[in-house]
Amino acid sequence: MGTSGAGQSVSSATDLLVPVCAVSGGIVLAGFFFPEFVGRAVSGGGWLALALVFFASGLGYLALLPYADGEPSTAAAYLLRVRRTGVSELVRPLVAGLDPVTTAGPVAVFAAYFAARLVAPTATGTVVDAVSRTLLRDGSPFFLGVTLLAVAYCLFLLFGSWGDVRLGGPDAEPSYTYPTYFTLVFTAGIAAGVVFWGPAEALFHYRDATPYFAADPRSTAAAGSALTYTLFHWGVSAWSAYAALGVPIAYFVFQRGAPLRVAAILTPFLGADNLDAPLGRLVDALAVFATIGGIATSVALVSEQFLAGIGFQWGVDAGNAGPVLFVGGLTLIFVVSAATGVHRGIRRIAGLNVGLFLLFGVLLAAVGPWGFISAAGASALGSYAVEFLPLSLYADGEWVANWTVWNWSWWFSWAPFAGLFIAALSRGRKIRTVVFTGSVATAAATAVWFLLFGGAALWVQQVGRADVLAAVAAQGGSEAVAGFPVIAALPLSRLLIFLFLALIIVFMVTSADTSTLVVSVLATRPGVAPSTGTIAVWGLIQGAVATAVLVVGGGETLQALAVLTGGPFALLSVVALAGLTRTCYRDERGHTSLVERVGRRLPTVPSHRDIDPPEED
Amino acid sequence: MADTSDELDQEPLEAVFYPEGRIPLVEWDSVSGAKPTVVVTGVVTMLAFVTGLSNLSRATVVLNGPLATLLPAAGAFARFGGVLFAFALGPITVGLRRRKRLAWQAAVVAMAGLTLLPLTTFAATDVPLFAAGFVTLPLLVRNRGSFDQAIDLSPLQVASLSAILGVLLYGTMGAYGLRDQFLELDSWVDAVYYVVVTIATVGYGDITPATPLARWFSLSVILFGTGAFTVAVGALIGPAIESRMAAAFGNMTASELTLLEDHVAVLGYDDLTEPLFDHLDDDADRVVVTPDADTAARLESEDVNVLTGDPTDEAVLRDARVDAAKGVAVGSGDDARDVLAVLAVRNVASEVRVVAAATEGRNVEKFRDVGADEVINLRELGGRLLGASVVDGTSPEEFLGTDRTDEETGTTDGDRSAR
Repeated sequence: MGTSGAGQSVSSATDLLVPVCAVSGGIVLAGFFFPEFVGRAVSGGGWLALALVFFASGLGYLALLPYADGEPSTAAAYLLRVRRTGVSELVRPLVAGLDPVTTAGPVAVFAAYFAARLVAPTATGTVVDAVSRTLLRDGSPFFLGVTLLAVAYCLFLLFGSWGDVRLGGPDAEPSYTYPTYFTLVFTAGIAAGVVFWGPAEALFHYRDATPYFAADPRSTAAAGSALTYTLFHWGVSAWSAYAALGVPIAYFVFQRGAPLRVAAILTPFLGADNLDAPLGRLVDALAVFATIGGIATSVALVSEQFLAGIGFQWGVDAGNAGPVLFVGGLTLIFVVSAATGVHRGIRRIAGLNVGLFLLFGVLLAAVGPWGFISAAGASALGSYAVEFLPLSLYADGEWVANWTVWNWSWWFSWAPFAGLFIAALSRGRKIRTVVFTGSVATAAATAVWFLLFGGAALWVQQVGRADVLAAVAAQGGSEAVAGFPVIAALPLSRLLIFLFLALIIVFMVTSADTSTLVVSVLATRPGVAPSTGTIAVWGLIQGAVATAVLVVGGGETLQALAVLTGGPFALLSVVALAGLTRTCYRDERGHTSLVERVGRRLPTVPSHRDIDPPEED
Repeated sequence: MADTSDELDQEPLEAVFYPEGRIPLVEWDSVSGAKPTVVVTGVVTMLAFVTGLSNLSRATVVLNGPLATLLPAAGAFARFGGVLFAFALGPITVGLRRRKRLAWQAAVVAMAGLTLLPLTTFAATDVPLFAAGFVTLPLLVRNRGSFDQAIDLSPLQVASLSAILGVLLYGTMGAYGLRDQFLELDSWVDAVYYVVVTIATVGYGDITPATPLARWFSLSVILFGTGAFTVAVGALIGPAIESRMAAAFGNMTASELTLLEDHVAVLGYDDLTEPLFDHLDDDADRVVVTPDADTAARLESEDVNVLTGDPTDEAVLRDARVDAAKGVAVGSGDDARDVLAVLAVRNVASEVRVVAAATEGRNVEKFRDVGADEVINLRELGGRLLGASVVDGTSPEEFLGTDRTDEETGTTDGDRSAR
């Protein structure tokens, strides 16, 4: 009964989604192909709503499609039970599956924050700002040092002998093909920020000039150094933060039998069976807080920016309810995606994300100023390589605290969730592959994006095709509007803008569904899969926090609060790497380093003594 | 309820991240086969049509692409290309669905040509078409082996097609050669235009023959051209309509069907069972039920009563009046379908005698289980005949006459009892 009923409700859900998606998509396409006839028949707000309905129904349908055949959907089974049982019976399994410490702690902190924010909005903001400013300024050397350490450790694992350890034993088979693995890691670890900052960051550095390079603002030299600094902020250093937590978690989970949670990094100090100690619970609770805080504020801010950008470009005012509705829709999509599982919703939307990302990149390369981009990109890459160490160590002044250190702290605050997800996917892979994927391949993909989009933005600004910086200034310096004038100045702009908006939504969903899943895992008893209900509850909590941020205000402050958790996690990653070093030093000898491996592959030049008579068979 | 919820909760964590099998990014097998290729070609067709309409609806077509200066008549190509490609791709898609080799070749050419369009205009609206063509071409190349059906043209069709081609060539060459004797006919384009307008019996009259020779020539073009055109339409479209009609009813009208009584219903028809049914006695009416329209059309031409339909469908069997039949012979060569057919017969008529032809010895019992009165194992029967003939020197006729006790291989038994 359960299975067939579940199948029916899923098929009825998809039956509903298909016509909705087809009709909205058809109208959007008609508007695209026949702007003269159809374009004027619908108002700007109508187009926005139609396009969003199209995206949402399409993504929902993608997530709900069955995997292989006949697999019953647990989400539908759950909804079926909702209909049949009372509220108390419904809530009981949810609460029973939840871990009290990791759940109640973060929820209490959020409640306290919003209460404080409601009672004394200014005071809360001032306090958090002051704390964050002090921490980031005085903690600059610490953050820079830990980030550099993470990069160095990644290099060591990449080339050293420990990279040869296969997680889960020598015979373990990876559960994901490499393209899937890369796609999931890449899309989970990076959110819609990459879309907004792609054109904006290089422009901002061009406008203000960076203190390290000390070029004149808005000069050609400033343009070159702007790209270099952008690469630095989004390059290997940033991604290494994920690997610095992800690799220790993966090692202790698959080689030492620790449960799959962030506290696994404490295995060498507490023992694999003893991670329920207060310290372990604290780490997990902190991870949940950092993840929810980081993702929910991102969802809220990105939603505001998305609508602000649309308002700027087309003069469509979404009103006060607009962002709340938008967040509600996003929440629905990422809950469905997370509840259908890694192999269904999360994988498919991630695949779509990478597909759109590639398409946008290819189009941008095709219509963009290729000569400028390739010349500026090559010189920025060269300068990045040469200046990497000085940049990593440069800690002077407010600017570095506001940009570089803030950025590192932000990446470290995402590291528990991204690291845990990377670890979970990495069973059956070599540590070398994990590090290569998590910090080299993903960084390369990000770098290409920033070179393409940042380069195009700089070109548009410098050549004078459009005054992007004036548009940004008119919008109060928001990075959200930077992309639109840049794209509008290029050929195929209508198509590119459509893709641009789709990318923002999809990038947001791919991070939020993964974080929902990870938080649900952290908040469930060890070793037990989170039930669909738990996943839904956590997705709704994220959505609720995002909505509260929109309604109560203070998104930046809460984000600052979440980013501040980057501090503890930077410290924890040092602890994790120390523990990993100790354990590997004791137990993981006799592996082959990459250098040796390459050495063996090289043809050996035989000396006279070695030459044997050729064997004939 | 509590049990189910506990079960859900107790799922191990591994199940979340490690479902069975390796997870690919895209299930290539399900999106790269021959069927998806046909679907994608259909999508490209529609996209080409919409893009073409979009270009047609503009007052001016922008030509920003790199090919705009290289292609002759780039403006006209950009304006009409999309819709014309769509009209060509429509039949191509139908042909691909039937796995025709020629359609595959045409599709490859059309896809390659289609990519020229976005490269000429470089408009935002043309990029989806470009991307779709970019996806379809590799799919076509990958699945080239699946599209291997030759186009079966009857001699009449070949003849009429070549006649049209011949008349077109004759008319064009001739009109161009005689251009001095025509009013307002100056170029090859004019000559083609004149011939088509003439053959199609439109005859605008803007180009007219001015000398007796030119008039005789024009008359010949009209006669041969319209003749070839008419014959070609009949030859090409007629068979399609005929097979449609056969597909609808076979050759039996509804009233004929109700008159059937004490007939033999033959369910399924293929190379293996064909000779078997040829030996059915002619006293009884025979009705062949087959789902295959081509077979139906062929049988019909041999004056066999045919009902086109699925023999596993009870409604079709009722139409064939199985309940009033003397006997039912089942043998399509596919044991699985035949078992279903026997079941369906039993649902409609529990009393009628059913004889099934099994192709695999291991399926004999299954046929009996679902209610066949007799099962003929063709392979075993052939083997015994061969063996008897070689070892004992028994002639097959003798063998058939003596071995009637063996139920398993009950040979002509089925036919006799059905009589």
